[in-house]
Amino acid sequence: MAGDPTLIGRVTRSSTLGFVGALKSPEPEIPVFGMFCKCEAQRGKSDVLGVIYNINIEDDDLTRQIAAAERPTEEELADQQYVRQIPIEFEALAVGYRLTEAYFYTLPPQPPLALAPIRPMKSDEIVQFTNQFEFIPLILSASNLPVDALLAACLRKASVARPRQERQNFLLEAGRYCAKLLSHDLPRMDSFLRILCFEEKSAI
Amino acid sequence: MSEESTLDEFLGPKLTNTQMGIVVGGSLSSGLEVKINSKLSIERLAVGRYVVVEGRSGRRFFGLITDISLGSINPDMQRRPPDSSEEFVTQVYSSEVAFGSIHVSPMLMIDEDDDELRPIKTIPTHFSPVVEASAADVARVFGEEDETHFYVGTPLEMETVQVNLDLSRFVERSSGIFGKSGTGKSFITRTVLSGVIKSRLASALIFDMHNDYGWSVRDETGREFKGLRQLFTDGRVSVVTLDEDTSRARGSKIDRVLKIGYGQIQPEDVEMLSGLLGLSDVQVGALYYLRRRLGKDWISKLLQEDDSSELQGLLEDGRIIAGTLGAIQRKFEFFRRMDFLVPGEGDDALEDIFRRLTSGTSVVLEFGRFGDTLAAYVLVANYLTRRIHRRYVHMKNKAAGGKEEQPKPLVIVIEEAHKFLDPTIASHTIFGNIARELRKYNVTLLIVDQRPSAIDDEVMSQIGTRVTCLLDNEADIRAVFSGVSGVSALREVLARLDTRQQAIILGHAVPMPVVVRTRDYDENFYASIGVLEGNALRDGAIQGSETLFGD
Ligand SMILES: Nc1ncnc2c1ncn2[C@@H]1O[C@H](COP(=O)(O)OP(=O)(O)O)[C@@H](O)[C@H]1O
Ligand SMILES: [Mg+2]
Repeated sequence: MAGDPTLIGRVTRSSTLGFVGALKSPEPEIPVFGMFCKCEAQRGKSDVLGVIYNINIEDDDLTRQIAAAERPTEEELADQQYVRQIPIEFEALAVGYRLTEAYFYTLPPQPPLALAPIRPMKSDEIVQFTNQFEFIPLILSASNLPVDALLAACLRKASVARPRQERQNFLLEAGRYCAKLLSHDLPRMDSFLRILCFEEKSAI
Repeated sequence: MSEESTLDEFLGPKLTNTQMGIVVGGSLSSGLEVKINSKLSIERLAVGRYVVVEGRSGRRFFGLITDISLGSINPDMQRRPPDSSEEFVTQVYSSEVAFGSIHVSPMLMIDEDDDELRPIKTIPTHFSPVVEASAADVARVFGEEDETHFYVGTPLEMETVQVNLDLSRFVERSSGIFGKSGTGKSFITRTVLSGVIKSRLASALIFDMHNDYGWSVRDETGREFKGLRQLFTDGRVSVVTLDEDTSRARGSKIDRVLKIGYGQIQPEDVEMLSGLLGLSDVQVGALYYLRRRLGKDWISKLLQEDDSSELQGLLEDGRIIAGTLGAIQRKFEFFRRMDFLVPGEGDDALEDIFRRLTSGTSVVLEFGRFGDTLAAYVLVANYLTRRIHRRYVHMKNKAAGGKEEQPKPLVIVIEEAHKFLDPTIASHTIFGNIARELRKYNVTLLIVDQRPSAIDDEVMSQIGTRVTCLLDNEADIRAVFSGVSGVSALREVLARLDTRQQAIILGHAVPMPVVVRTRDYDENFYASIGVLEGNALRDGAIQGSETLFGD
């Protein structure tokens, strides 16, 4: 992917609920948990927007052998960690889509096609998209995912995409929005807010 | 002009920037629940303030905040409060999950297409926005001060707005001024009476127990306040005293002294004192017998020191026993101590007072030192009121026959009113009758009392306008609101009034209930009544001379 620095991977599997991307070797910054990314769909007419909720590194026989060896050499380590045969996979949850210039806070009409390029969303795009909080229910309602941690990580990303003086207020308003959705489950809300509170302190 | 702009003209521009919250529930009978905007601190609110609910149909509803509470989406929150040491967490909680709410009692509504104030017949829909009522909104409801509308105070935290009492409605039915001792009842009464006298809508007969109304009064700090006789120097107020010495010592101007002759007192007058003098039923019954047998001079005869043969004769008849007679004589010693009671026939004071009242002069009856003797107060108030009322009835009946003019409306002011109107006697006393017959004979009461719960319910239900200062006894609070629908929520407000110079006014003479800070009774007030003093007087004189000698 050296040719296109903005690319973080290509779609290997997808559905309207989300997509799975693969890349050969991770950069220190990408992909990361909670990151906003986008992926072309409908022949470039729209972008499906997703947040990364899982990153998978699978093993193969060789990896297991090296891991079992007394002392892997530097070369062996580098080879296993950065130039893998088996690609690194990441999974993203669809949280909305962009059609022409507008953002929509619901599942996309069509999933991206296989091998569609996946790119991180730029700061201004993140700011614009997260100016409304309607993506939050899509995250919270996903089943079998660590949704609370995911949501907190997303909100942190969305806050740091903003100028420093706006971050606290953004997290507060987002927190209130979440609180309304979680108010039926106070223990859960407490632990979620504790994570978010930590994010709030570190973001500012 | 569009409907919208008429409305705006009526209530002033809409104040979206002070939106307080939205209606989330409630009912016509119990009032509205309003969830308040998270940006607004409920610590800044206060019961007794007005709000306007902007109904979805364009109707606007005027209401009063009657309660303030803390709500939450999840009732479990009270058992699992968030970690309050984390500012961020409490901030998140306190908007959507934990919020303030207010209870609003709707009072009036204003239709979209006219500017009539209407009584509440329905309530605004869910989620109607609620804004703070602006001064202009409130001022428009209470109207302008004019000849028959008298400025008595300002709504809470709206010093620029005048609450004007509709005096013609105020005197049309009996009214009450209630409150604990020291809350400002006498000051409000004096203020309102100034308005009534100034408007010439009615004459007042004031039974002035504590010498509060006629001439100057001092408060506990020694500050002096003018009495009605000093505010109206044109003869519209007369002071009649029962205690000339005290009145003179106070420097009070006196228009006449009232003496009541023993011969003028009827058994009915004494019967009213039975509780206070401790007369038993048998003894009360004996009074009538004694009057019949002894004639006009019955009291003098009963007070004679030496045993007269006439009394002896009564006992021999066997209609009365010596014990009863002796007890009555002992209890009648009270009359001897009351210097305003004199042997003989008395004078024409009653006729004189009646004449003054019907010609539009108000009369302050000063009790002087006798004000401390409740029996004296009850005796005189009953004595005069029964006779004056009888004359009014007579005059009114004649007027109905076209033979005479309508009598000038009369307002009779009594303090410690529960002594005249308690449930055991209200049904057969003159004051009970006056309260019940409404204004049939152009006579109404203004009762001033600190224990409204002790007043007969039926009488209370006839009270048209109620001005109530702080009351803290639950029964008294209940009594004040009895018979008025839709205001029970005001209890919370009433129990939290300041200890002085704050009152709730509700009923006949105001378009909607209002919590007021009562008007200061001071130089400005005197000036508004037309009294000029000191510099103002001199300036006035100079101005007068200028016009006299100017071009
Ligand atoms: N409108 C007012 N203007 C000035 N002072 C007032 C006013 N109302 C009450 N006060 C103060 O409060 C005190 C008590 O008022 P008062 O009318 O005598 O109470 P109450 O008759 O209820 O016992 C007065 O002596 C006066 O100092
Ligand atoms: Mg008093």
